[in-house]
Amino acid sequence: MSAITRRHFLTTTTGAGLAGVLATGIPPARGQQREISYLCWNNFAPLMDKKLAEIGQRFTKDTGIKLKIDHIAAAQQAAKYASEVQSQAGHDLVEMRMHFPWLYEGQLIDLGDVVADLEKKYGKVLSSAAETARVHGTWRAVPQYHAMFVATYREDLFKKAGLKIPDTWEDLYTVGKELKKMGNPVGIPISQNYDSISTAGPVLWSFGGMEIDKDGKTVRINTPQTALMIEWYKKMFRDCMEPEVLSWDDASNNQAIQQGKAGWIHNPVSAYIVAKQMKLPTADTINHHRTPGGPAGRHETDVPRHIAIWKFSKNAEPAKEFIRYLLGKREVYDEYIMSADAFNLPVYEKLQDHPVLKTDPKYAGLKAEGVQYHCYGWPAPPSDKVQLITNSFIMPNMIAKAVTGTPTKDAIVWAENEMKKIVAG
Amino acid sequence: MAIGRVGVAAVPARVSLRARVGNLLDREEWLGPVFVSPALFLLLLLVAYPFCMALYFSVSNAFIGRPSHFIGIRNFVNLWGSDAFRQTFQNAFVFTGAAVGFKLVLGLSLAMILNQPLWFKRLIRGAVLLPWVIPTALSTLGWWWMFNSLYSVVNWTGLALGLMDPPGQRYYAMTAVVVVNIWRGLPFFVITILAGLVSIPRELYEAAEADGAGPIARFWHVTLPLLKPVLGIVVLFSTIFTFSDFNIVYVLTHGGPINSTHLFATLARQVGLETGRIGEGAAISLYLFPVLMIVVWAQLRFVRKQAY
Repeated sequence: MSAITRRHFLTTTTGAGLAGVLATGIPPARGQQREISYLCWNNFAPLMDKKLAEIGQRFTKDTGIKLKIDHIAAAQQAAKYASEVQSQAGHDLVEMRMHFPWLYEGQLIDLGDVVADLEKKYGKVLSSAAETARVHGTWRAVPQYHAMFVATYREDLFKKAGLKIPDTWEDLYTVGKELKKMGNPVGIPISQNYDSISTAGPVLWSFGGMEIDKDGKTVRINTPQTALMIEWYKKMFRDCMEPEVLSWDDASNNQAIQQGKAGWIHNPVSAYIVAKQMKLPTADTINHHRTPGGPAGRHETDVPRHIAIWKFSKNAEPAKEFIRYLLGKREVYDEYIMSADAFNLPVYEKLQDHPVLKTDPKYAGLKAEGVQYHCYGWPAPPSDKVQLITNSFIMPNMIAKAVTGTPTKDAIVWAENEMKKIVAG
Repeated sequence: MAIGRVGVAAVPARVSLRARVGNLLDREEWLGPVFVSPALFLLLLLVAYPFCMALYFSVSNAFIGRPSHFIGIRNFVNLWGSDAFRQTFQNAFVFTGAAVGFKLVLGLSLAMILNQPLWFKRLIRGAVLLPWVIPTALSTLGWWWMFNSLYSVVNWTGLALGLMDPPGQRYYAMTAVVVVNIWRGLPFFVITILAGLVSIPRELYEAAEADGAGPIARFWHVTLPLLKPVLGIVVLFSTIFTFSDFNIVYVLTHGGPINSTHLFATLARQVGLETGRIGEGAAISLYLFPVLMIVVWAQLRFVRKQAY
């Protein structure tokens, strides 16, 4: 038997190794290491991001799967997701707001098995979350939590001026005039951001209007109800607000009430939570009440958030394991929800009376009865078209046009044309 | 059986690969392309490929993550039906015209001041460059803070002077983005024009002065004609950069209010990436390409005429 030379040994082992890699299609390092990445939004309740990182570390310790979490501003999500889909590369898991699963339907894996397990444990998914995460009968994302828009007001100012908590949008006009006189105007954004849509929707619905009909195809914005809604906005803008609302971003209304300027805003409880965490003097003076109603009832915008897995991900199973770890273990899910201090609430029926709502009496407004929760575009079923109408900021621009001088009718016709173009595809 | 003549060819001496490559590189027709190829490769990869992709997208109904089909120039035609696009088209010309105009006048004035004997001239010249050196997104965040509706002195003054009443809001936003663009682009004008001014021979001014020309006459008849090629190039570059500006508008206004500050780049991002319609987004970003090509051709022609 001839002696093995160094050259012979290297040639043989390299050849065998390469053959193995080619046969399995997995590089050796990848075969051993399990690593997933999660692109998550910058939570408006920042402590929830910290908790997520902490849970992520525990997940790695318990399962051996490395987890890398990246955060992105909510306004950047759509563009970032588009680039990941276009390049078919990026993160494994992605946080998806509202109708995003509809927009990226063909790019997301079926997560029905994960949702089925969660529903067995926690009860049915709330309707707004189910409608947005289940696309054409397939769960393209797993609902994780939701935040709804409530009225946030300065309790001290209301008491000082003897103002009644507004029950309807008309009441808000009466209150708003007084607040503006006191130097604390109402702060409802009328600009190219999502908070603008989140308030415009409930106002439109409570006047009996809608953007798209139930069939998801017929544009119904050009109605007398929309005109009523616009007229309400016009007088609010004139008598209760300041022109700066035309330039506001999603954070501006929060800052306006936190810094002591605004007397009333329409927002999830994040403004109060952040004021509390930062120990701002206004924290003690802020309280919440349910969203005002109108002739057609009381409606609130609901913002469900989900977790999805891209089809191009090579780590779908470990990614599913993380979702199960985060949402499927009751103690972990509770811990996660508690960290948001009632900003993000569970989306499963049996968890609706969650302990987080009892942590502060100011969260009583979140349990208001007689409120109908909807996502953008209601009563049209969720679809990519509804998401496109939302992302094009047609409704806030229609209102902004009207409050800055465009005749109401022209503003509505403009919006109708823009929506029709999107619906026509 | 015929036997042919068998010749014995001379066996060439074996030349090493290194020597053969060396011989090739000694020849100009090989060496030139070798030197150019890395740059050419980068151009193809980073400029030509994305540009061709954008061209394809613009004539397709491409939507994020879905199969696309060729639809001809339908995107370009449909865009005219969009109010947001028509507004953007107008914004782009207003924004570019105002910003480049101001930058030219202010840049020329500042360059002429800096060309005079001054105390701390070097320090001032260095300071002038600062807005150009700081990353735009970062400096625009500073401006965003200054224009912020809650904390800003600019906003407070605007309200106190009645400049921010509802009808004025749109113009206020456009004014804000133009001001930041001027602040950001002015150093480019100043430094380039200053370089042009320094290169004008002193003798020409002395001769003009001897002929009785005053400061204004010297400016019109000596400075301006000799600066024309430099001004042409500066205006050309600035026009292209300003038309395609993105950072300032995106950070400061996101194109609002009511699309009144959208430029081609910001609208293309909104339509192409945020709403997924890549085809339409690409068409928006390429809409002015033919016009800009003509501008570039005309201005370069003008510059060449002035230079030779």
